[in-house]
Amino acid sequence: MKGFTAFFIKELREMIRTKRMMIILGIFLVVGILSPAMAKLTPELMKMAAEDFTEMGVTVGEIKVTALDSWAQFTKNMPTALIVVIIMMSGIYTSEYARGTLVPLITKGLSRQAVVLSKLAVMLITWSAGAWLCYGVTYFYTEWYWDNNTAKALSFAAFCIWLFGVLMISCIVFFSSLASSGAQVMLGTGAVYIAMTMAGLYSKAKEYLPTRLLDSNPLYRGELLPGDYTKAAVISAAVSAVLILAAMPITKRQMI
Amino acid sequence: MNVLEVKEIKKSFGSKKVLDGVSFSVPENCVFGFIGRNGAGKTTTMRAVLGLLETDGGEIEVCGERVSYGKTPKSGYIGYLPDVPEFYGYMNAREYLTLCGEITGMSRNDLKNRCGELLELVGLDKEKHRIKGYSRGMKQRLGIAQALINRPKLLICDEPTSALDPVGRKDILDIISAAKEQTSVVFSTHILSDVERICGRVAFLEGGRTVFSGSIEEIHERQTDTGLELTLKRTEDAERVLEAFSDMENSGGRLIFKKASDKKAAELMAFLAAQQIPVMRLERHEADLEDMFMEVVGK
Amino acid sequence: MDMTELKEYLPLLIPLVIAQFSLLGYTIFHIMRHDSYKHGSRALWLIVALVGMQFIGPVLYFAIGKEEE
Repeated sequence: MKGFTAFFIKELREMIRTKRMMIILGIFLVVGILSPAMAKLTPELMKMAAEDFTEMGVTVGEIKVTALDSWAQFTKNMPTALIVVIIMMSGIYTSEYARGTLVPLITKGLSRQAVVLSKLAVMLITWSAGAWLCYGVTYFYTEWYWDNNTAKALSFAAFCIWLFGVLMISCIVFFSSLASSGAQVMLGTGAVYIAMTMAGLYSKAKEYLPTRLLDSNPLYRGELLPGDYTKAAVISAAVSAVLILAAMPITKRQMI
Repeated sequence: MNVLEVKEIKKSFGSKKVLDGVSFSVPENCVFGFIGRNGAGKTTTMRAVLGLLETDGGEIEVCGERVSYGKTPKSGYIGYLPDVPEFYGYMNAREYLTLCGEITGMSRNDLKNRCGELLELVGLDKEKHRIKGYSRGMKQRLGIAQALINRPKLLICDEPTSALDPVGRKDILDIISAAKEQTSVVFSTHILSDVERICGRVAFLEGGRTVFSGSIEEIHERQTDTGLELTLKRTEDAERVLEAFSDMENSGGRLIFKKASDKKAAELMAFLAAQQIPVMRLERHEADLEDMFMEVVGK
Repeated sequence: MDMTELKEYLPLLIPLVIAQFSLLGYTIFHIMRHDSYKHGSRALWLIVALVGMQFIGPVLYFAIGKEEE
């Protein structure tokens, strides 16, 4: 426990001093503003496009933007921000193994579990802070321009996206116990994401797949209820736990 | 009791045998020189002692406790200075030492005093900058400080002086000598003058085996026969000397006894005096670590 | 777009512009202050940062280009 606390503080300090925390939060802030901004600009863009359409003989009716559009943008942009987090975090373990910075600490009795867990904790904190900052900013602007009550289950939908991020972070932890570079970790994590999307093409599996958590539009519109996401949420949480637990013994084989 | 006991350890990487029976022991309060050429297996041995490497056979005991892979000897026993120590560039020296101390579970007050003490010992107490700007020598000194933070019984240094300039080397050797008061030190090197300067015991490693292990005195005892080198004023006298002393060799105008007892030396001098052969120089060769090293590596 | 319409966008645009430009500004500052990078060269990273200025450029630099400390 002593080792965990000391190393956790070191990780937090690393995130802040290497400016990674600042950059990630900055990006989530941008994404948070961008989502309502894109929704707001949609009618303007359509108007411009409409002129071309009229020339072609097609008429475009007046488009009414609501909170639903703003939140649809949020759902569309969050995975991009998550990818940014994954790219920035992919080397968090492997670079330490490769550089040998852990050697002095491990020989002083720091356990490898403490290393795995404190880095996981810092990644979770960063992702959570970013995701909820983004949510808060989008919520604020959507309330400002439209009415958040139009969309349903907002915080639950955000929770689902957050949970999906937790799963991806667990993938980083798992692949880091096997890989020797950040690029390999990125590749493995990306492969998991692609595999899930491919499997999602079969409608039968869809309900159980973690990728379902990213599909929040039916939730906003009230076509699906939070209960319809339970299976995917439980599976995501369970897989995350398994990946992390599996990473612990495997990390012991990592040469440092 | 021996602080470190290494018995017949073996290690192969694939088909390449890196360690093939390494044995030595380190008593308390001793500076132990671990000597070998580059690639002889010094770093591998040290990593095995630290539990960072799985061995294929043999036993390692630190303070009477078995070492196995993945299980670092109980904290407080070993301090380690890697050959190229890598730290977190965004911290300063004091912050890094504090992190190390916290991991070993030192109390806050003790740690604070210890940090000050060590930074002074290694001459980094005035340094306020972050580690990323440190020179090789400064990193090496910080490396020693972190290794000593929890007052270990055994300090292991992997080639601490190899990459440093003469001043930096002297600093490191002085720090190691000072550390000897409280701990045993094992340090690997291929720089023999460093060993002669501070070591009490040595082990030679060649081809993954320990070919000699013992005290510096033992080396001198082992080689009681010292060499003798004679340079004559007139080269034409050489014939006469070689006739009288058949085991002498002529090597480019210098006549050499590879091994000459005191008696042999006296005989030679008597002969030279009796024959009135003028002598330029008669020199005794004390066997040193380098001869020993050359002998064991078979060169 | 007339003035009243533009006014409506300001609460969105001002923080967005500030956030993006400070990110871009900091990235360029960081690139100029360092001489060596994990991959690539100064010119390459300046181009990447400017081309992908929304935030992809800075992110790529900090993830791939920035030297390990």
